[in-house]
Amino acid sequence: MGTPLERSSRVPIGCPDKLGGATRKKVAPDSNGWLSLAKARYAMGAKSVGPLQYASHMEPQVCLHTSEAQEGLQKFKVVRAGVHTPEEVGPGEAALRRRKGPAKTPEPQSSEAPQDPLNWFGILVPHSLRQAQASFRDGLQLAADIASLQNRIDWGRNQLRELQEKLKQLEPGAA
Amino acid sequence: MLEGAELYFNVDHGYLEGLVRGCKASLLTQQDYINLVQCETLEDLKIHLQTTDYGNFLANQTNPLTVSKIDTEMRKRLCGEFEYFRNHSLEPLSTFLTYMTCSYMIDNVILLMNGALQKKSVKEILGKCHPLGRFTEMEAVNIAETPSDLFNAILVETPLAPFFQDCMSENALDELNIELLRNKLYKSYLETFYKFCKNHGDVTAEVMCPILEFEADRRAFIITLNSFGTELSKEDRETLYPTFGKLYPEGLRLLAQAEDFDQMKSIVDHYVVYKPLFEAVGGSGGKTLEDVFYEREVQMNVLAFNRQFHYGVFYAYVKLKEQEMRNIVWIAECISQRHRTKINSYIPIL
Repeated sequence: MGTPLERSSRVPIGCPDKLGGATRKKVAPDSNGWLSLAKARYAMGAKSVGPLQYASHMEPQVCLHTSEAQEGLQKFKVVRAGVHTPEEVGPGEAALRRRKGPAKTPEPQSSEAPQDPLNWFGILVPHSLRQAQASFRDGLQLAADIASLQNRIDWGRNQLRELQEKLKQLEPGAA
Repeated sequence: MLEGAELYFNVDHGYLEGLVRGCKASLLTQQDYINLVQCETLEDLKIHLQTTDYGNFLANQTNPLTVSKIDTEMRKRLCGEFEYFRNHSLEPLSTFLTYMTCSYMIDNVILLMNGALQKKSVKEILGKCHPLGRFTEMEAVNIAETPSDLFNAILVETPLAPFFQDCMSENALDELNIELLRNKLYKSYLETFYKFCKNHGDVTAEVMCPILEFEADRRAFIITLNSFGTELSKEDRETLYPTFGKLYPEGLRLLAQAEDFDQMKSIVDHYVVYKPLFEAVGGSGGKTLEDVFYEREVQMNVLAFNRQFHYGVFYAYVKLKEQEMRNIVWIAECISQRHRTKINSYIPIL
């Protein structure tokens, strides 16, 4: 494992740069998304793209999936609703194979893809509305990456603090 | 209609034509837009609009000022002007002005039906309906389950009744069928309005027919472009195209088979009027097809004021005023989102 000093030098300090980069990257899709919504209102009418068109019952198109990465850190990933990640496929298969008698395990609820929210605004929506949706989707993925990076940075800071404490405790002994 | 509108027009309609020309002169100028795009906040925008013909139209709005409130108040103002024209008009101008309101009625009916589908309250939706398209039976629209119900129970006594002949069906009103209904109603409305103007003859027909033909062609292009990648079939798409205009019939037949923007562009190579519009799409300014069509519409509506003694000035004024409202809303959105790179993407009118 090495001495506290050696271990403290291995704590990742490059993450803040990555976090800054990811945060800056997220601002662009979000602001482009809002501007594209404004363009859609320009084309369709100011009252045609707004909360009045939202569905009374909304289903999420994406879910946040957490997994444990190295060192026990939580990692976040955005997954489309209705799509199983590779880790979920195995246990689910046994339940799906049951055909006789009443099902003892409930069917997975997200087996059907939710309705595309673009349809709330009509079938023939302008390109700017589709662009807005694509921008916000990109922003979501970046948000998950930022959360993962932030987690890693917080873990790194805690590790560094602990190691610095241990170093302080050892130093008087060495002296 | 007797020839020589200039001999008889002013007797019944001269006052209103003078009035609408006065209103047109008060549209925002290029200098007004330069002042507006320099505003830092919506409050600044409100102050600059006070120096224009808009005056204190936002005086009663509570803080915080939003883009939606600005749009609502501008709509009310336009409606007030239009209602004055309509209340003081005589036939056949009154019928012409009623035709103009039908497009807003169709939008309101569709808004109410979509709201019913999403289980929104009628009161909430009525507040967002366009004031120019209000009619008494509006509040009952949400109870209809099929187009036939909608017609028989609610719209049969309204000005929209004649446009329902191609729309009658027992299909339940889901998103696709509501979209089909919207476009079929609009198609029928445009065709009827066009026939009215053509039969009227005189300068009104000379000014209005090209404007409505352009509107029909524009609808065909936009429906085609927006239908790519959707569940709307090519056969259904073709039924939504108005059956008049420069594209009718051959261009519409080709457009119905188009599968992407490039195919649309190759169809338009045969139409001298539309080819330069399609070539202007994209480019350094990032113009969309809707943008180039709005520019063309503004050009045609400004030119309508070069002729006298026709009803087209009323149509042209309302359309130019709507473009001005879109410009102001766009500038307000850019200010409110602090996204100023595209703030100059409005269409100047005067």
